[in-house]
Amino acid sequence: MNYFNPLTESRREFLLRSGNGLGAAALSTLLNPGLIGSASASEGGVYGGLPDLPHFPGKAKRVIYMFMAGGPSHIDLYDYKPIQRKLHGTELPDSVRQDQRLTGMSSGQNSFPCVAPMFEFGKFGEHQTWVNKDLLPHTSGIVDKITIMKSLHTEAVNHDPAITYINTGAQLQGKPSLGAWLSYGMGTMNENMPGYVVMISRGRGQLQALYDRLWGSGFLPAKHQGVKLRSAGEPVLYLKNPEGFNREARRGQLDSLKALNELNYDKFADPEIQARISQYELAYRMQAEVPGLMDIEGEPDKIKELYGPAVDKPGSFARNCLLARRMAEKGVRYIQLFHRGWDQHGSLPSKIRQQCEDIDQPAAALVNDLDQRGMLEDTLVVWGGEFGRTIYSQGKLTKDNYGRDHHGRCFSMWMAGAGVKRGFEYGKTDDHSYNIVENPVHIRDLNATILDRLGIDHRKLTFKFQGLDQRLTGVEEEAHVIKDILA
Amino acid sequence: MKGQIILALLATCLHLAAVDFNRDVRPILSDTCFKCHGPGETKGDLRLDKREAALDAGVLSPGNVAKSEFVARLKTKDPEDLMPPPKANKALTSEQIRTLETWIAEGAKYDDHWSFVSPRQEPKIEDLDHFIDRRLKTEGLNAQPDADRRTLIRRVTLDLTGLPPTPEEVEAFVNDTSPKAWEKVVDRLLASKHYGERMALAWMDAARYGDTSVMHADGPRDMWPWRNWVINAYNSNKPFDQFTVEQIAGDLIPDATVEQKLASGFNRNHATSDEGGAFAEELRVEYVADRVQTTANVWMGLTMECAQCHDHKYDPITQKEYFQFFAYFNNTTDPGMQTRNGNQAPLVEVPNKDRDGKLAQLKKDIAEAKNKIEAHRAKVSELPEFKAWLDKASNKAKSSGQSKQPENLAHWFPIDATLKEFRDGVTGSAVVAERGKFSVGNRENSKALKLDGRHSFKTDAPVNLEHNKPFTFSAWVKPNGKASGAIFSKMDDKASYRGFDFWTEGGRIGTHIVHKWGANALKVISADELPEGKWQHVVLTYDGSSKAAGVKIYINGKLSKNQVQADNLSETIVTSQPFRIGSRSTSSRWKGELDDLRIYHRALPQSEIAATAIGDPIENILATPANQRSKSDMKVLLARYLGGEDKTFKKLTDDHQKILKQEADLNKKPVTSMIMQDNPENKMRMTYVLDRGAYDSPKKDEVIKPGTPDALPEMPKDAPPNRLGLAKWLTNPNHPLTARVAVNRYWMMLFGEGLVRSVGDFGAQGTSPTHPELLDWLAVDFVESGWDVKRMIKQIVSSKTYRRSSRLESLHREKDAANELLARAPRFRLQGEFIRDQALAVSGLLTKEVGGAGVKPYQPANIWNEVSLNGGLRYRQDRGEKLYRRSMYTYWKRSSPMPNMLIFDAPSREKCVIQRQRTNTPLQALVTLNDPQFVEAGRVLAQRLIKSADSAPAKRIDLGYRLATSRPAEKREVEILTRLLNANLERFRKDPESAKKYLAAGESPRDESIDPAEHAAWMVVTQTILNLDETLTRN
Repeated sequence: MNYFNPLTESRREFLLRSGNGLGAAALSTLLNPGLIGSASASEGGVYGGLPDLPHFPGKAKRVIYMFMAGGPSHIDLYDYKPIQRKLHGTELPDSVRQDQRLTGMSSGQNSFPCVAPMFEFGKFGEHQTWVNKDLLPHTSGIVDKITIMKSLHTEAVNHDPAITYINTGAQLQGKPSLGAWLSYGMGTMNENMPGYVVMISRGRGQLQALYDRLWGSGFLPAKHQGVKLRSAGEPVLYLKNPEGFNREARRGQLDSLKALNELNYDKFADPEIQARISQYELAYRMQAEVPGLMDIEGEPDKIKELYGPAVDKPGSFARNCLLARRMAEKGVRYIQLFHRGWDQHGSLPSKIRQQCEDIDQPAAALVNDLDQRGMLEDTLVVWGGEFGRTIYSQGKLTKDNYGRDHHGRCFSMWMAGAGVKRGFEYGKTDDHSYNIVENPVHIRDLNATILDRLGIDHRKLTFKFQGLDQRLTGVEEEAHVIKDILA
Repeated sequence: MKGQIILALLATCLHLAAVDFNRDVRPILSDTCFKCHGPGETKGDLRLDKREAALDAGVLSPGNVAKSEFVARLKTKDPEDLMPPPKANKALTSEQIRTLETWIAEGAKYDDHWSFVSPRQEPKIEDLDHFIDRRLKTEGLNAQPDADRRTLIRRVTLDLTGLPPTPEEVEAFVNDTSPKAWEKVVDRLLASKHYGERMALAWMDAARYGDTSVMHADGPRDMWPWRNWVINAYNSNKPFDQFTVEQIAGDLIPDATVEQKLASGFNRNHATSDEGGAFAEELRVEYVADRVQTTANVWMGLTMECAQCHDHKYDPITQKEYFQFFAYFNNTTDPGMQTRNGNQAPLVEVPNKDRDGKLAQLKKDIAEAKNKIEAHRAKVSELPEFKAWLDKASNKAKSSGQSKQPENLAHWFPIDATLKEFRDGVTGSAVVAERGKFSVGNRENSKALKLDGRHSFKTDAPVNLEHNKPFTFSAWVKPNGKASGAIFSKMDDKASYRGFDFWTEGGRIGTHIVHKWGANALKVISADELPEGKWQHVVLTYDGSSKAAGVKIYINGKLSKNQVQADNLSETIVTSQPFRIGSRSTSSRWKGELDDLRIYHRALPQSEIAATAIGDPIENILATPANQRSKSDMKVLLARYLGGEDKTFKKLTDDHQKILKQEADLNKKPVTSMIMQDNPENKMRMTYVLDRGAYDSPKKDEVIKPGTPDALPEMPKDAPPNRLGLAKWLTNPNHPLTARVAVNRYWMMLFGEGLVRSVGDFGAQGTSPTHPELLDWLAVDFVESGWDVKRMIKQIVSSKTYRRSSRLESLHREKDAANELLARAPRFRLQGEFIRDQALAVSGLLTKEVGGAGVKPYQPANIWNEVSLNGGLRYRQDRGEKLYRRSMYTYWKRSSPMPNMLIFDAPSREKCVIQRQRTNTPLQALVTLNDPQFVEAGRVLAQRLIKSADSAPAKRIDLGYRLATSRPAEKREVEILTRLLNANLERFRKDPESAKKYLAAGESPRDESIDPAEHAAWMVVTQTILNLDETLTRN
């Protein structure tokens, strides 16, 4: 990292010393947070980011977050207990429910019959971990590589506030997303790629809305917002040159543009002009690099087979998982996959099956694929949604059908890689999988832990906005890194 | 790190003199101490924000640094004792400690926080440059001279209108030798309608304006009438105090106008939710909290939201004071759970000049169409076509031998032809569907009209019946069930049911003949029931006596006994409602099938009843020898011709119907806008402090009354305890914040940064003003001028400071990299909207219309449905002029805003944003190079250059520069672009297909007379010009 010494050198000299002409913009950022400039000086393949980061050597260089939008049922996937077979059909006791507020969708029910999952569960791995055998035949095969956390909790019980909360640290709009914080703090490892990419797949169930704010930059500069990689049309918005205007023609045009801008620099000496020239060059390189990454033709068959047949379908979760690995290899810092369709208020048995058919094999494949390449060592993989679901049936419980309402008091997620314990379970809930009885993990603890893996002290990654040193984990409640799950 | 550099710079570059508490000390104390030892918390009973408290605690010894424990604790090596504690992540730099030591050595003087003290104007100062120059002199920096005129006019035109000047405007200014040349330009711009647009755009960020509701479904809403209000307010130079009062409390102004109520929509722009499972009260509290946050932030630069859960940590705002402020906004009638479909009440119907204009025009068109119809009708009996038809039809009819039909047939709806041709066989008037669609039923061999209880059909046939004139109704009916309903009617439900109907009720048939229902009406129902599920013929005669006894009802030819339910009719039954089939004006929709409806202007005697059930009354007339036909017969024949045979008449009536439908559509959709409205006094909502800010934890032991923080001036005595009072308090001339915050925002618009750089935070954690005396001078001036916004803007842009060159000299770089001293003008990238608008303007594509609803220009496919609830919401791109409107009118869907603007730092506007970020990224380059909007602008600009007077490439390039950068191209630039042009000319000549593809960008037509290769090559040049740093920059 180059530091600018205002006493001994001019900005111009600093510019020259920092080599690529971008340092001055970073300086103007430091001097003047309101006038955020451009990408900053680099060393060791890191572009942008804050000079005091990482706070300590991190285990992870990058994060792949598989976000299951809609709220997957922890009870039907990971937080199973055999005693629930006995509880099946019994009324949820007040002693369990306590004064839990219920969403407006089931608060009117006069009966709350408990439902045991209508699936077969099995014990897997070294620690004999319960996993749904019917629905997760592949994920059950990687339990020895992941830590399953069963004691996540959130205050929000409706989709919009809950999904906003877990992704931005606040239930209301306006805060930067986790990925934006990472881009702001850590910069990117490949200038030719966006530092934070988002891929969305549809799922087959009820689609709850997503919002740009989930990958937005909030009060951070807009350059930190997630860039959507898209399966149809251009992989990145506006990436393709206009029809009839090829790359060679573009090159010639950019050369002229650069020459003209340099004339202008001679007149005004504004380092921002140099910064602009560089951004156009970056755009040009991005145009070459991104499409290549999106093209999976060169992947060996046995790798494609690992991710399952849907990998051939652009826009599928399987394809996105494979692309995530390719992005990770190319130095993208944060890759977030959103898979929609987990909101099973009714017909849960059939709908959750469809969802799992789409995600089980690819998610497990991603972990295995990273592992076999040695990348699981420095890649943090996260799987989970915005909340869990109720033990009681929403709507009528029949012989073979039920639904479940939203549940924020406990839910399950899993993590792998980057020093997260292999083959571990953390946190416990009660027999009804309704309340946490051991090792609660608030979603801000989860976020603090994700930052920790990257070498970031969540208390120190701050941005002054409206008088407060804002941070991802909020300024009110203290967040705690979940040390117990770290190897 | 950041702080260190800033401080190092401040200390070394700016050569600070004596320590100033507000400028030098308070920022350190606030940022590092107040959180635990300030207004919100007093750990160890120590409070450092008040001198007395700090002295009482014994930690400060004024004048004696060594004796001050305060200093010892900052410097100790013992981590247990060190302040701030290491885990607070707030280590002080040695410079900061030195500043604090100097401060104590100088007596540890405190001053009230500057922004809470009313501004005072330094006397005898004529202009704002004085303050800037004074500080420059102190700091030993020379100011840059004036920028050249081209730069200046481009700068001020972009700053005041968001659009570039035209080359003509540039030349006029350059050549204007008058000493008032600059003033003329400024006055012209302030008078431009685009000035209001530019000002409104900044206000839209602050007001969190959007076209959708944000949360959950993020459904559509119409708040653009409020935006129109803002544009108009700026353009008409509404004083800022009125601007404030109307937006905060327009609805509470006595005898508020529609416009004033509309203005109060400022506080309805916030995010709302419709999520099924949500807790309405939680949402409602969030809305109120948003209003508090936005109002305090926009008008006072205060972060009041920090006191929702506990006392403010840095500023003197207690939690109770927060809820006093909250109480002003807590009494509104809008609910927590709001709609996903349009506007949520309370709302106001908006006078819409556009619509009113269209309606007035339609009224004229309708009258004209009617005149044409009547003129045609008047002459038709003389037309040879009519005579020919009559002869032919009469000859044919003679042989049919129909029985005699009753005379005085007034209207006849045979419903036998195809339903598309459904008309009154006597007057020729068409029947149109008002609700539902035509649906066909069957009666023996004839078609019938089928109604399902939701239908209504109407006609403008002149069905004129009166209470004192006889008439007869006749119809074939097959009722479905026994529900009540109108077979036909001409009745106004909303005017006490004035009019008449042919009516069924509980399986019986009858009529209402009404002047005013209840008081002056007649109702007769048959005693006999209609057999269910069968076709039957019903006739009702009325003798014009205004008595129930004058009504006779025949079912299948048999006279029924009657039940009289009302019998006090004595006045007119005329209404302007149209004649309807199957319904009254708004209710009583009939269920069943109908055929052969007739109305006679005569009470038919029993002997003639049977004939109304059969045959074709017109065939009968045709069969009558011409000399025996009555006048009434001839009328019927004419109508038959008009309705069935006359193509001209059909076209005239169709045209008439079309215009009527346009009028109905316009009337159907009045434009509304959401407004504020308080509960009435007897239904006031109580406000309580919410424990930790949580909606479900009110502390009910104390009711909180509306009020403002103690640290700020008192409420004027006569101010009402509601939002109107609050607005008057904010605009009270002695308020220390309102005027300062407002002028600081104008300064930011014109200099890129405020005099207070933390534009949204004037509290202890904000930055001190770079020129405090200037800020106060401007603030006082603003209030004394009557809050005159245009005057303030003019004053600032008229200054020397504003007109300086932006050239960065090495001394500036060294001494004032952040340009706080303004020795040079700032130079910064234009905001996204201006970049797009400029491309549209210089190409000539821009639609200059001001105001109106959001528009949908080009957007990449699937942006909306990729994230929308249920995944089905598609963006329907507009066509034509709407593709080229100013960017502020782009439909703003807040969960998924227009990506090309987001990339340029446009905020999502889910929350209030006072100051935008300004970044520079590769994605921005991709937008201006590849977004069809910009590619098309390049194509159209190329066409403009090619079509310009001079065909020499150098001249064309020069024009391109003049349009995009307001200056002529220099020789070297012409050379570079000429080379680029020639290279591309060669490329496209070799590959004409590519040229065609490249030229296909955008939907505006291309001048096909231009050689595609030449056009494409020029397009490369214009795209380059549109991407110049100079084009994208305000200099």
